[in-house]
Amino acid sequence: MKRLLLFSALLPAVLCAQNPIIRDMYAADPTARVFGGKVYLFPSHDIVQPSPLPQGMRENWFCMEDYHVYSSENLTEWTDHGVILTQKDVPWGKPDGYSMWAPDCVERGGKYYFYFPDVVKEGMGFGIGVAVADKPEGPYTVVKSNIKGISGIDPCVLQASDGNAYIFWGAGRCARLKENMTELADDTPTEKVRWGDREFEMSGYNCLKDLPNRQAEGPFAFEHNGNYYLTYPYVRRNTEVLGYAMSKNPTGPYEYKGLIMAEHADSCWTNHHSIINYKGQWYLFYHHNDFSPDDDKRRSPRIERLYFNPDGTIREVHPTMRGVGINDAVSVINVDRYNTASQDVTTGFVDTADRFRGWYAGLGRKGSYIIYKDVDFKNVKPNAYAIANVRANKNTKFTVREKSAKGKVIAEFTVTVVTEGQFRRDYSGQWLAVTAPLKYVPNGVTDLCITADADAVDIDNIEFKNRIEYFQPAAATPSTPDSDGFIRRWTVAEPIYLDINTNILFTDSYLDKTLGDPQVQSLLKTVPADRQKSKYGSQTLVWHKIESNFYNVKLFRFTEHYGKKIYGVIFPAVTVIECDDEIRDVRLMAGSNSASKWYLDGDEILTMSGDRRMVRDDCASKSVTLKKGTNVLSGLVINGPGMSDFCVRFIDNDGHPVKNFKIK
Amino acid sequence: MTKKFLFSIIFALTASAASAQVGAPYIHDPSTLAECDGKYYTFGTGGGGLISDDGGYTWHGGAERPGGGAAPDVLKIGDRYLVAYSATGGGLGGGHYGKILTMWNKTLDPKSPDFKFTVAKEVAASDGVEDCDAIDAGLLYVKEQNRLFVSYGTYFGNIRIIELDPETAARKSGAKPVDVAIDCEATDLLYVDGWYYLLGTHGTCCDGVNSTYNIVVGRSKDIYGPYLDNNGRDMKQGGGKMVVATYQKSVGAGHFGRFVVDDGVEVMSCHFEADFERSGRSVLSILPLTWKDGWPKAGKKVTGGVYTILSARRGYALELATDFVRIAQDRQMWWRINPDDPVKELPLQQLSDVESSWPKASAPARLSDFMLRPNQYWKIEPVEGKGGYLGNPYFKITINGTSRALAASTGMDVIVADTFTGDDTQLWRIEQCTDGTYRLMPKRVPGIPGLNTKYVLYSIADSTPILKEWDSTSDNAKWELER
Repeated sequence: MKRLLLFSALLPAVLCAQNPIIRDMYAADPTARVFGGKVYLFPSHDIVQPSPLPQGMRENWFCMEDYHVYSSENLTEWTDHGVILTQKDVPWGKPDGYSMWAPDCVERGGKYYFYFPDVVKEGMGFGIGVAVADKPEGPYTVVKSNIKGISGIDPCVLQASDGNAYIFWGAGRCARLKENMTELADDTPTEKVRWGDREFEMSGYNCLKDLPNRQAEGPFAFEHNGNYYLTYPYVRRNTEVLGYAMSKNPTGPYEYKGLIMAEHADSCWTNHHSIINYKGQWYLFYHHNDFSPDDDKRRSPRIERLYFNPDGTIREVHPTMRGVGINDAVSVINVDRYNTASQDVTTGFVDTADRFRGWYAGLGRKGSYIIYKDVDFKNVKPNAYAIANVRANKNTKFTVREKSAKGKVIAEFTVTVVTEGQFRRDYSGQWLAVTAPLKYVPNGVTDLCITADADAVDIDNIEFKNRIEYFQPAAATPSTPDSDGFIRRWTVAEPIYLDINTNILFTDSYLDKTLGDPQVQSLLKTVPADRQKSKYGSQTLVWHKIESNFYNVKLFRFTEHYGKKIYGVIFPAVTVIECDDEIRDVRLMAGSNSASKWYLDGDEILTMSGDRRMVRDDCASKSVTLKKGTNVLSGLVINGPGMSDFCVRFIDNDGHPVKNFKIK
Repeated sequence: MTKKFLFSIIFALTASAASAQVGAPYIHDPSTLAECDGKYYTFGTGGGGLISDDGGYTWHGGAERPGGGAAPDVLKIGDRYLVAYSATGGGLGGGHYGKILTMWNKTLDPKSPDFKFTVAKEVAASDGVEDCDAIDAGLLYVKEQNRLFVSYGTYFGNIRIIELDPETAARKSGAKPVDVAIDCEATDLLYVDGWYYLLGTHGTCCDGVNSTYNIVVGRSKDIYGPYLDNNGRDMKQGGGKMVVATYQKSVGAGHFGRFVVDDGVEVMSCHFEADFERSGRSVLSILPLTWKDGWPKAGKKVTGGVYTILSARRGYALELATDFVRIAQDRQMWWRINPDDPVKELPLQQLSDVESSWPKASAPARLSDFMLRPNQYWKIEPVEGKGGYLGNPYFKITINGTSRALAASTGMDVIVADTFTGDDTQLWRIEQCTDGTYRLMPKRVPGIPGLNTKYVLYSIADSTPILKEWDSTSDNAKWELER
């Protein structure tokens, strides 16, 4: 149980550096708030309508049954804290109303007040309720009844510098809250409002009276530099825009100032937003039906930077796919949400059956490019490589550069979808992971430009990955066996090349002949220095003095690192053991992939024949003595196909690892 | 068509000695066996798979799985079948770019109208550079915890485990793969009595009768390891305890799968790289799975031969109830024996010495001290053409040298019928239990319609065998077979 709790508490943050920022479910009406240095996001939660439709639910309509809360410290990694409230938890609401629309949350006196609309259980229309918690992520306790005097949706609470809290709702109505934050002030005015041939009594002030207000909803009010801003979606022509008005008083009168965001370019009817200042930058949170282009009732939250003019007015914000998050280069970068691109670039869903898998950018021809801004290379090491998930119909190439199509080359990718020959393979039209070494590692935050260098290519994402450091150059000072007695310091030669394609031929007599060959043996005659060169036939072998970072010495990665052959190889390895005193009756314990022979001061002490895999303590030598002073331990590891490696240690008569010597 | 039919008859005839399944059980990397509407299925590398419609003895092609790729696995969760398989996508020319994909089906029967795989979902991948080759999926569903895992990988680096969502079989949100072993391939996972077991295949495949493939196991209290062998050695350092390498005349065991037949009766499936009796082909084999001190090991299938059948309850021998016939012997008073006198071998009682005194008609079966008597020796022979169960055909069990057959009788009695008629009441399913003993189950019990899968030979008293429901916790239901 304890473990389970820990696990859920440690749910990793999801990377969403681009728009939309929630990528595993629909969400809308993103209300962002800053609490304790963190951004908390309180969106509503669009879901696909249940089937069959609950009684009274309109077809192709909004459908929301609960709320999640998210948090982030960098607007890139978002943690979903899970469900904080469902429609069944609301005593005054319809348990199957599916109308948990746009919410808000504010902190006052150390408590967090979560405001939400819901359809009322008795009577008509919407009410607004409150749930209270000690922390933004809950748990929340729902106040028994909804706020008396409010009939409407989309609450927003403004905590003004006059010390009062004001609640806004619906089409721009506003009223002061009591100090308990759950009731309207006693002096809240009321007015009769006609709607068609019916008359209603409404509480509060109508802040949008005489302003552009057709189908206005979703008010978001805030205060900045002595001005009060009432921002709100309304219909200018056919679908919603985000407009705003300013006033010197929270309750108005407000003066209309213009647009924050124009209509969505496609037919997404709604928009709904919030505005925060986080670490000195203003941000607009809004929504768009990114994952549901054919149904604008399933939406996704987005973020853009927002700027003020010196006179306090707001500059219009243009929606982008890129959003505001900075990508760590050592993570998946969805470059399909690029900032700019050549005109022929298209985007489409990677998987139309599962749109949450995201998009790809289609670079249609040679010269097509995309530019993706703000990737941070601080965690990329020089040995890193790039990996991209791509699709093409013909073999092609593309290049990742810094900043522009003329920038420094970071990586050049070759996409081979068809190989001819005996085993013809055809992966045209399939998603493939392709890798490329890095030619250059930029410093810090920079922009990426990806260009198609031949035929068309679809790019889903790219990622930079650091290689594991399997070994490092040996230090000048002697080392010692590790805690299990394994000897990690070796001087290893780049491998001798052999033409072998199976490991089953490594019989004792084969090894005697092949590894016992005088020319091979001559490589072990002396203790080589780092970078020393030896000749083997026409081959020049370079020795490298290394310290393995693992108990086993990964010869495969060694030869790969130096750009040498990986299969069909013999590795000579030498190390020097320095003993303060004679150590008697010890055995060499070895494991190797594949076969190997081991020598102490030139005497063969162990042969590991056959098709070997790396197994700790696979074979033991006869009993040997490590003499006082210098002992030279050497080995030859032979392999056909497979990841060559070995592990070697000495054990004493009681089976304990021998560790009381130095390795030079 | 005729040719195919002939083929299967030829294999059927050689079946009793075969270590693998009969029919046309040619497969590489068979998935864990799955049952669907009375048939058994296994899927192999490259697409397709085998079906058995005689209870798991005879196998032939016909199973269908899209996606190709390597070493799939299948298991049933609720009323759906989950298939995991792997695709090698971009790593051309021997690369190590792999993908593990999962998909569901309501049925495994390609002829069913419900047969339709969902769109495959990628749950893990390797990029061709890292120490992993994401192929060879092995699934584990832990019912008690409603958690789903998949192990994958090859000799290229590490074997990894990642958690999946049991509802969707997509990667569990936030789940990261964990390295658990090296130098293995075709892994599988088990959860038994609070232990997680990682089974991996060591050695070299695909070299016919020279393939050194073998199945090893390590175990852990934590799904993410460390998986230690019986020596305490981590599978990340090459550890592993042998489960099976060679069985009878087949070598190169690979790709383990466990199937629980009953409480206390389990089988394992694998392929052998080469069956010496079948041109060295790669074949499906279903072997008993035994457990000793918490370690799984391939058991021994019954083959034909003469056996004594001893009760696990008391150790008495199963026999035809007949008069005990004394063997004449020159008795020597022990105090008069000269230790230097020579000894000679005494003849055993022969069937011909006593058979005429036996009842002509059917007689009860009984349990007595094992006295090397002819009415205590049973010839166990496979019977072809009568179907089978997971691993083996049905057997007839007769008093050696006679056609008097052990048979299920009315009133849950066990009798020795006067002659073997081939009736289902005289056909026996013989399976090794997880503790190494055997259970014997007649194909049909008189008075109970249909195939018997419930009643077994049972010592209701030390000397009295009857038929009673299988009870894995009772020695009364278990038997030792000794040649």
